[in-house]
Amino acid sequence: MDEYLKKNLTRIKLALCFLAALLTGLAVTGAFGRLPWPGKKTLTIGVFSDSYWEVQNGYSYRILDDAIALFEQEHPGIRVSYESGILKEDYSEWLAEKLLMGEAPDLFFVLENDFNDFAQIRALADLSSLIRKDAAFDPERYYQAAYECGKYDNIQYALPYECAPRIMFVNKSILDAEQIPIPQGDWTWEDFYGICKQVTKDRNHNGILDQYGAAGYGWQDAFDSNGVTLFNRQGTECYLTGDKVLEAISFMERMEQLNDGYSVTGRDFTLGNVAFQPLLFSEYRAYKSYPLSIKKYSGFEWDCITMPAGPQGENLSRLDTLSIAMNARTAHGAEAWEFMKLLTGDERIQSEIFRYSEGISVLPSVTGSRQTREVLMDHAGEGNALNMEILKTAMEKAVVVPGFRNQDLAMETVSKAVDAVIHGDSNISMELIIQNREINRYLQSLQQ
Amino acid sequence: MERYLLRQQPVPELILEFMKILNFVTIMYIVVVTLDCLTGYVWQQEAYGFLGKIRRLPLEPWKIPLVAVGMYGCLLLLLSIKTSTDFWFVWKLCMETGAALAISFGLHFGYMGVFLLILADIIRYVSDLKWKILLASLVCAVYLLLDYNLLTFWITMVSFEECLGFYSASGKSLLMGIRNVLVSLNLFVFILYMVAEILAQSSEKARILKLNLELREANRKLEEYARESVKVAETRERNRLAREIHDTLGHSLTGIITGIEACVMIMDVAPEATKEQLHAIAEVARSGIRDVRRSVNALRPDALEHMDLGNALEQMIDGTRRSTGVTIDYECQIHLGGFSQDEEDIIYRIVQESITNAIRHGKATQIRVRIGREFHILDIHIQDNGTGCADIKKGFGLHHMQERLDILGGTLIYDGSHGFVIHAQIPIRWGKEEEDD
Repeated sequence: MDEYLKKNLTRIKLALCFLAALLTGLAVTGAFGRLPWPGKKTLTIGVFSDSYWEVQNGYSYRILDDAIALFEQEHPGIRVSYESGILKEDYSEWLAEKLLMGEAPDLFFVLENDFNDFAQIRALADLSSLIRKDAAFDPERYYQAAYECGKYDNIQYALPYECAPRIMFVNKSILDAEQIPIPQGDWTWEDFYGICKQVTKDRNHNGILDQYGAAGYGWQDAFDSNGVTLFNRQGTECYLTGDKVLEAISFMERMEQLNDGYSVTGRDFTLGNVAFQPLLFSEYRAYKSYPLSIKKYSGFEWDCITMPAGPQGENLSRLDTLSIAMNARTAHGAEAWEFMKLLTGDERIQSEIFRYSEGISVLPSVTGSRQTREVLMDHAGEGNALNMEILKTAMEKAVVVPGFRNQDLAMETVSKAVDAVIHGDSNISMELIIQNREINRYLQSLQQ
Repeated sequence: MERYLLRQQPVPELILEFMKILNFVTIMYIVVVTLDCLTGYVWQQEAYGFLGKIRRLPLEPWKIPLVAVGMYGCLLLLLSIKTSTDFWFVWKLCMETGAALAISFGLHFGYMGVFLLILADIIRYVSDLKWKILLASLVCAVYLLLDYNLLTFWITMVSFEECLGFYSASGKSLLMGIRNVLVSLNLFVFILYMVAEILAQSSEKARILKLNLELREANRKLEEYARESVKVAETRERNRLAREIHDTLGHSLTGIITGIEACVMIMDVAPEATKEQLHAIAEVARSGIRDVRRSVNALRPDALEHMDLGNALEQMIDGTRRSTGVTIDYECQIHLGGFSQDEEDIIYRIVQESITNAIRHGKATQIRVRIGREFHILDIHIQDNGTGCADIKKGFGLHHMQERLDILGGTLIYDGSHGFVIHAQIPIRWGKEEEDD
């Protein structure tokens, strides 16, 4: 009897162990959530209330609401919800807290600055297998540069939702006054420098320059348009010593010398005293149309053109992209994927970006459509016809820079280094070698 | 003996219990501190900065205590199970390692001390040194390979230290220090356990060795005593036989010789008296033979000395059954009382001899013994399923059996074509006084 009890006790213990292990396993792997519970499934989305492009337009959730309505209609068993009222400036912290507490939504928008960090800590789901299995999904439908923005370490973690290329704003009034024609789409640094030199002057003859060539044209713009690859893929090495960099920095130095040491700002452009300023296309869309058209850039005529090409580069510009990613711990991967596809790849939803947002659709088929052109023309108003070619070129030739962790810190360091080189007295290429060595040391320290 | 072998070692046992408690405290400490840090980051709205610094998103806070404490409970349950075979022990060990891995995972590989518990368990239960070393080194390898710093080569994980970044530098070093103390204490207790276990095992060995020596000595004495006993019994029996012969046969023969000498002397003078004398001598001789028979009877089978025939047969058959494993089907339809001693002897010997033959020569696995009665004839039927014997030579004790039956006026029939069959018939003489030959 005693023996029998003993034997059974062992069985009871084993059964308890298995039960505990099973329950823990199910809970930890999130299998509980994947079980077919009765009732509607709820898909949650992380989104911020204001525009990504820093423009208040009153349509904050319009596109998302439309997409949800469409999705719920096509998938009757699923409810889609989101928490409203989170400002863009609080969004990163909000999302980080949710991720840390394990309460993050199934899908969430990812700001460009946060993407590398979130991908690195595997908070974002690897979409590769979903993409591979889904025959209906075609990456070619997206602008390549926008699509590439969702890649980290060669793995797709996000899909682009909307984007805006960086383009060159031109103060037509200044150019007209100086009798300079608007530059062509394939203009170069030399053209750029030439115009800047021509327009930089002291108009009221008080001995101080009051009309400038360019504002906000940074070393990064110069690097991009001269085909510079600044870092390796892992972000462990910096290539600051090539001749492309040398050319770009010499160009920047020449440009700075035009201003007699004055640092030209965006405010000067707004006031109509600067001929060129690179800005996002979203800015163009926002301020070209009424009512915002009276708020900014109202005292002069302006338009936009492509960025100038460097001697070894093209008329390339960077792309700012808002992406949407899936929570790596979601219990509704398949449903979330369907919603992602709808939001980013459905032409009905994507065409709304031109109506309710200032960005550009990530689908060439939508951006290039006649309907879109009509909307853009309409917005432009005042007889200012937008040169669609500029947009097309900017989008198709956008620069794709593979991201890595702490990219922002690395960029800051390079920025400081470039500043030091430009304002330094010694030989540029010598200085670059020294700075490069120091940046590499810093990058190594970031790895630890 | 059992009391000696199963004696628990109190000191290592106590240390092991302490180790279990210490591990629980350490696990709880790491869980609580980690949770405090994670929630602290959220409270202080520093979550974004924290995520920017770490290499991997930590587990959801609610999962950390669930995995760590739940799996530790599992591990304790597993540790308390005593296995009977090697197979199950290895299984148990695998499950324990799994549980320990799960605990370590739940703690972001910030604490591996639970593997020492498993090691202690192996040391305790595995007695074979080869296995002990093998299993212990396997678990050791897992324990060493799971070291956080080494592990981060393969898997990226948020470390306990990174979590502690929430606190000020002094708070961080204090909390980290407490953890290190707990880890070192666990290691220290484990070493203590090992030492105690080794000491206990060596003292146990010495005790067993001493017991063994004592046992051997006792055994030797017992053997000596048995040899002496046999010798004493032999001498006693020899003396008894000598006395018996002297008392009975010697006595009778002396009487007979004396009587016959008297007969020789008076034969011619008084033939009548001689005849009478001879009758008396015959009476003496008869009495002598009776005495001899009685003496011989004293040497009959032991079983019959103490019990009646029925019981003796059953006991013998049962004994054979048990000792050889042969199935013996014994069936006796009559009461076996009332036989005289010589009849009992012969019946017993016939059954015994037949069974012995069936097993020894016939390699039988099944034997059927049936004793019955037809009128005044006792019927003994013994059949087996052995190889039988086509050409029967009366060497298998059959000759002896026949002789014995002849004494009682019985018959013996046998057949070796299908197994072996022996059929003996003995006339029953219940109530009759045994006649002299």
